[in-house]
Parts: sequence; C-alpha cells; structure tokens
Amino acid sequence: MWRLNTVHHKAGRAGSSLEELKLKRREHEKALRQARRDRQLVSKRLLLNEDEEQPGSPMDTNSGDQVVDLFGKLKHGGQEREAHLKALSKALRSPSAQLTFVKLENSMHLLVGLLSGSDAQCRLQAVRCLHELSNSHHPNVVPACLPATPYLLTYLSGQSTKFTELCLYTLGNLCPDSEVVREKLLAQGIIPALANCIQNQRHSLAVVEAAGFTLSQLLQAKDAAEKVIPMVLASGLPPHLLSVLTPDPQFGLAPAIECAWCLHYLTCSNVDNRLLLAHGALARCSTLLVSLGDAVAKGDKEGGMELLVWPLLRCVGNLLSSGPMEDLSSQVGDVSLLAALCALLQAYLHSQPALARECAWVLNNLTADSSVFCSALLALSLVPGLIQLLPFSQGINTMVLRVLGNIAHKKKEHCVQLAQCGLLPALCATLKMADQEMVTLSLEVLFLLVTSSPRVAEDFVRQSGLSLLEAIQYNSEGEVRLRATHLLEHHLISHHMVDRVTSQ
Amino acid sequence: MTSSLRAVAATKTLRRSSLSQPKLTENKNKTMLQPEASDYLIETLREKCPAVDSQLKEESEEDNTPSPFSFTPQRIHLHKDHELFEDGDIHRHLYLQNLSTSEPDDKPKLSVSEFACHISGCSQLFSSVEEYEHHYNSLHRHVCCSCRRSLPSARLLDIHIQEWHDTLFTVLAQRQDMYQCLVEGCGQKFRTSKQRKDHLIRIHKYPADFRFDKTKKGKGTRGMKSEQQSDTAMEVTEDVCEVMCDTESDQTEGGEAMEPHSCAGAAVHQAISAPAEMHSDLSAAGHGATNMSTEQGRPRYSYRVPKNVCFGQGSVRGFRARGRRK
Repeated sequence: MWRLNTVHHKAGRAGSSLEELKLKRREHEKALRQARRDRQLVSKRLLLNEDEEQPGSPMDTNSGDQVVDLFGKLKHGGQEREAHLKALSKALRSPSAQLTFVKLENSMHLLVGLLSGSDAQCRLQAVRCLHELSNSHHPNVVPACLPATPYLLTYLSGQSTKFTELCLYTLGNLCPDSEVVREKLLAQGIIPALANCIQNQRHSLAVVEAAGFTLSQLLQAKDAAEKVIPMVLASGLPPHLLSVLTPDPQFGLAPAIECAWCLHYLTCSNVDNRLLLAHGALARCSTLLVSLGDAVAKGDKEGGMELLVWPLLRCVGNLLSSGPMEDLSSQVGDVSLLAALCALLQAYLHSQPALARECAWVLNNLTADSSVFCSALLALSLVPGLIQLLPFSQGINTMVLRVLGNIAHKKKEHCVQLAQCGLLPALCATLKMADQEMVTLSLEVLFLLVTSSPRVAEDFVRQSGLSLLEAIQYNSEGEVRLRATHLLEHHLISHHMVDRVTSQ
Repeated sequence: MTSSLRAVAATKTLRRSSLSQPKLTENKNKTMLQPEASDYLIETLREKCPAVDSQLKEESEEDNTPSPFSFTPQRIHLHKDHELFEDGDIHRHLYLQNLSTSEPDDKPKLSVSEFACHISGCSQLFSSVEEYEHHYNSLHRHVCCSCRRSLPSARLLDIHIQEWHDTLFTVLAQRQDMYQCLVEGCGQKFRTSKQRKDHLIRIHKYPADFRFDKTKKGKGTRGMKSEQQSDTAMEVTEDVCEVMCDTESDQTEGGEAMEPHSCAGAAVHQAISAPAEMHSDLSAAGHGATNMSTEQGRPRYSYRVPKNVCFGQGSVRGFRARGRRK
C-alpha cells in the first residue's frame, strides 16, 4: 500500500540533491501533461518488497544475462526454484531484462506453471516476477503476460492478502496498455472478480485499495464508456465503492482515494448517473465533502487530502448536472455543503488553484438552478469571501462570477444584497481586466444589478460607473461595446438626464 | 454629429458659472458627479420632471432594441478529458507514480488577472487597477473630440476647445481679450496667444517652450525633437495626444508631463476661423482625422482612433442624447 510518507525518503537518497529531484519531478510533470493531452496518460504502480524502501535503479547491468541464466536453472527444476525465482524477480526490475525474458522461448509458460503450481512460495515469487513484468511500458512485454491472467483473476478470491494484492496490482498494470489486453480481461471476468474482491475482502483495506486501483485503470481507458462502464454499473460495484469512501483513520486515505477516482470516472462518463444517484452517490459524496470541509476549516488539513477531495468534487459536480435540480437538491442535503466548498476553496487557493477552481465549479452547479442555494450563500455570509476571489485568474474568477451571476439572476432582492456585499466596486475593477470573458461576464452581472433597483443603479453611478462604461464603449470587442452602450442608453439613462441638466 | 454636440457642450461649459445649479467640484472628468451633488441632482430631477423617468422608460420600450445581455445560469457538465480537469489528473498520476511531494513547490501557482486598456489601438497591459487608472486618466481622459488631442486636465481641454474649435471665440478674440492665462486662479486674459505666453513666462515663470501653449497653426518649428512637420499643432499631438493610438510615444515622452520642448519658434496666433468646424460636425465627425493627415504628412503612428470615437466630457453625453440618434 502506498503512503505519502514513503516519498519523503527520496529526499534523503544518497547521490541526488533536492534540486535534482525537483527538476526531475518538474520534467516528469511536463511529460504527464503532454501524455494527458495525447490521451495517453497511463500510470503503473510497483509494489515494493518489505525490505525495499523505493524502487531503485537496477544495479546489475548485465541483468539480461542473469535472466537467461536463471531461466536455464529454473527449467531444470529442483529445490532452489524459489531462490532462483526471487533472484529472477530482482533481475526483472531492469527494462532490458524484461524484454530479454519474454523473448526466451517458453519463458512465460514456465512462469505460469510456477504461478499455478502447488508450491505456495513459488507462486508468490512467480507473481512477483509477473508484477515486475507488468510494470513495463514496452509494447512487447505486457501482451506476453496474457497467459497468466486467468490465474491471477482466480486468485483474487483467495485468502492470502499479500498475494492477492500483488495479483491485483499486476492486473491493474496490465489494463491500460492495449485494447486487446483489456478485452481479454473483460472476457475473463475481471469485473465480477473485482466486485467479489472488494465485497469479500473488506477487512483488508490494502486489498481494497489495490482493487480500487485496478478498477480505476480499467475505467480510465479511452473506450471505457462503451465497454467497461456499463458492466461495472451492472456488477453491483457502486454501492461497495461508496461504502469504502469514508476514510479509515488508522489505515489512511488510500482506499477511499482509489474508490473515489473510480466513482469520478463513472460519473463523468454520464452513462447512467441515475443508477449512481439511486445508490445515494450524491448524498454520500456531499456528506464526505462536508466533513472534509469542516476539518479543513478547523485547520486540520491532512497531507494528501486533496487526492480525495478532487474526485469527490468532480462526482458532486457532475452528478449535479445529471437531472432536474428539484430531485437532486434533496440528495445534496442541507446547505452546509456550501460552507464546506467555500472552506475548501479558501484552503487550497494558493497551493492548488485548480482545486479551488473546481470548488467554484461545483458552487456554480449548485446555484445555477436553485434559489435555495443562492439564498443560502447570502444568508451564510459566504458572498464577501467569494467577491474577494475575483482578482484570481486561471478560471477562478470567471467561475466565481458565474456563481454571483446565478445569485443575481434569481431575485432582485439578491441583487440588492450583492451590492451591499460590495460587488459593485469589485465589478468596477473586473470590467478593466484583460480577460475579455471577465469583462463580458462583468457587464452581464452589472446589468442584473443595475436593473434590479434604482438604488443600486445610483450606487453604481456614484462610483464613477458612467465614465467607466463610457470608456468600455470603445472596447475593441463588439459584444462588449454593445452591452456597455445598451446599459448606458437604456438603463442608466435617467442618470444621463442628470448630466444634461447640469450642463445646461 | 458627436463633435458638434461636444462643441455645443463646450460653449455651455463656459457659461456654467452662471447656472443656478450647485457648483460641481472640479474634477478630472466632468461627467462624474460628487456624491452629495448627485444626490441633490437626482432629487431635483425627480422633483422637476417626475414624468421624465416614466417617459423615458416608455421610449426605451418603444425602441424595441433587443437586449444584448444573454447570461443565463447553467449547470456545467465536465467530461473526463476536459482541460479544467488537467491539474487534478496530473496530481493523481504523480501520486500513483510515487512522485507526490508534500513539500510546497517553489513556484507560485496562483495567478492574478491582468488589466488592460481595451481602447481600440491601445491594448496596454497592467498588473493593477491603479496602473490602469493612471494610464487611462492620463491618456484617454481629456481628449478633444474634434482633433483627438489629449490634454492633461479638464481645464486645459476646455481652453483648447475654446481656442481651437470655437468659432465664437475666434470672432470675439478679434475684438476683446479672450486668451486666458493657463494658470488656474490667475484669471487674466490676453488679446493674443503670444501675450499670454509672455505673461506665463514673465509672471508665472513658465519655460519658453511650454508644451501646452501651442497655437493652432504656427509658423515653422525649428529644432523639434521629432522629425515631424511644419505645423506646431502637431507638436502637441505626437507627444501627448495621439497617445491613445501610439503607445510608444507614451513611453518615450511620458504623456502629460510638462517637458520642455526644443522648439524655439514663436508661436504666432492666427485668427483662423476654424472653417465650419462646428457646423460640419453635424454630418460626420470625420473632419478631425482628415485635417490631421493632410497637415501632418507622415503619421507617426500606425493606429488611428476611429473617426467616430471621441472622448472628453460631453462628447459621449452628446452622442447619447435622445433625439439625436436618428
């Protein structure tokens, strides 16, 4: 199982300075971003032995030769098979050795034989070898492992937790590589096997985490919506995934994280969100977000919590847009979700602005079609905090402005209250931003405010609003000019009359 | 159309002191009302013409102009590969690959929106509202509609309009002292621009080449900083006014500063009646641009504010006045 703590050890590694590590990480991040853009974002996990701290680079440069040698020895059988297998698994850490191994004739046949044999220790070491092989990104290696998969699947309902974990991660690593592999796995019944696993091994959170990981690998595939998701929804997995969501205080967040990401892939595909709603997905995720938001508001921000918050936000956000709001709002529960979202937004604003942006997105989905939530945002005094977010770019201010627009759109009284919260001076600033989307949205919200009551219009004029709009009449964008002119000519006209009177 | 109203408004501002309205605080932009004043005026309006609001409302409804505003609240669904999800996905995968770090990354991630001047042709960027305001107030505020020169203050703009674009002024100036001293509070007036200039130099210790005391059509410009033209009118233009078009000049010349010019030429005032400048405005506000290009020869800037763009107090007011829109 993974703990974020293990990563700290990397910093103490001999031979690499912190700077080098940071640089490597940044490069790696860049590569991941590009991979995502190419829809090729794939990750594999390597379960380490108890005696290892982290995957080190293979020390042995002639591990290829070693592999050949070991294979030869294994073919002869004998008492030392286990030792040979152990050595083989170490050697197979090297990518070139992996390639060498799969090219050897009957190598996989031998390995599968040992995997399915009667010697438990050999099984363990054999699966270790397969696990190393599954970690490969080379297109020739993973397909070579296919003969082993029926056995791996069978062992998922076994009782040896360590062994099951290894099987699961091996399968999880094999999933993303190719459609052929996935089709085979699906045909061999990987989904019911995973469902069984999660259900029956609930006591072993390490296994649950591993199963969650494997499922997420399947669900993340490009063709998941057609091939995988319907099967998963029909398999009875959703309620189990939901039940895992509450983090175990001792074990940690990891199983909940995996299951939450599974749920995210399920909800964003929009295949059948009603089924998920029927299982109470929205209620569960909302409740969890509320407790996480509460924790964060108290200053109790656990490391890695954002890994759980992120998928939960996405589930709630997408579930909220999958049906009539009247049906959904009862599932969200009471308005405490609003406060939680605002707390999370503030807490992560600087460290993870993208997460803050997604919080704002969920707020938008909550408020767009619900006057209850709009009124609540005002009543809970959350609006001033939102207004203070308007300087921040990367999509945060546009989304927050949408939320404020949602509120203004509902009732004229809301507009008056928004003005009292200080929205007008904030708009006077956002109207000057470089981002034309912000300028347009600001004009839209301004329109709602100014037409809601003469008092608000007067306030705007008092804040030099007219000259601001006059300047905007010369904006380079036609849509913007149109709106400014319309405001001046139709809705602030009485204030113009004042001007004319004075000049006469 | 715009500039005629502007000129009309200008004339009216000359006579503003005779109004029985409460004196508006002198301000950079005359359309901005001080809070107390505006309250009073709004009340006055309502008292005087209670029917105005409703009448105007009727008019605007009759207008049948469709509202360009289109915002409607919408729930947004995001699919798995949406770009909004990128950062979160990367974070997840870094964790999967054991590359997460709890150490805060040194590079700051949160960014603040920039501000921009969107006036056609300007497009400067600013990192704060204050910077933007300074830019806008310095360079786009007091602009004469007729010739598009930017002046540093409302007062100088008024004087400019009066002296350059007001035929009434030109007529009166032939018989009486019309050229005001540029120093606020002095109040003295002179028969010619030269006399005023002398006054400024002698009494108020102004430099001989004070920039904003240029006359309309001067004779010869020696030792100009720029390689430009024969027309003194353009001196002011290139450095200060057309800044709204040419941002370079803004940076090099510093906009509104009273920098000494190297021109030593005596500005001779010519009592040219601005040919039908006022009346031709009824057609299009185009004359300004044409005059400029012919007088100038080679324009130094690549952008020109469109002919119907006009700043400065009263201009837009006039543009927006009802009854003129047909």
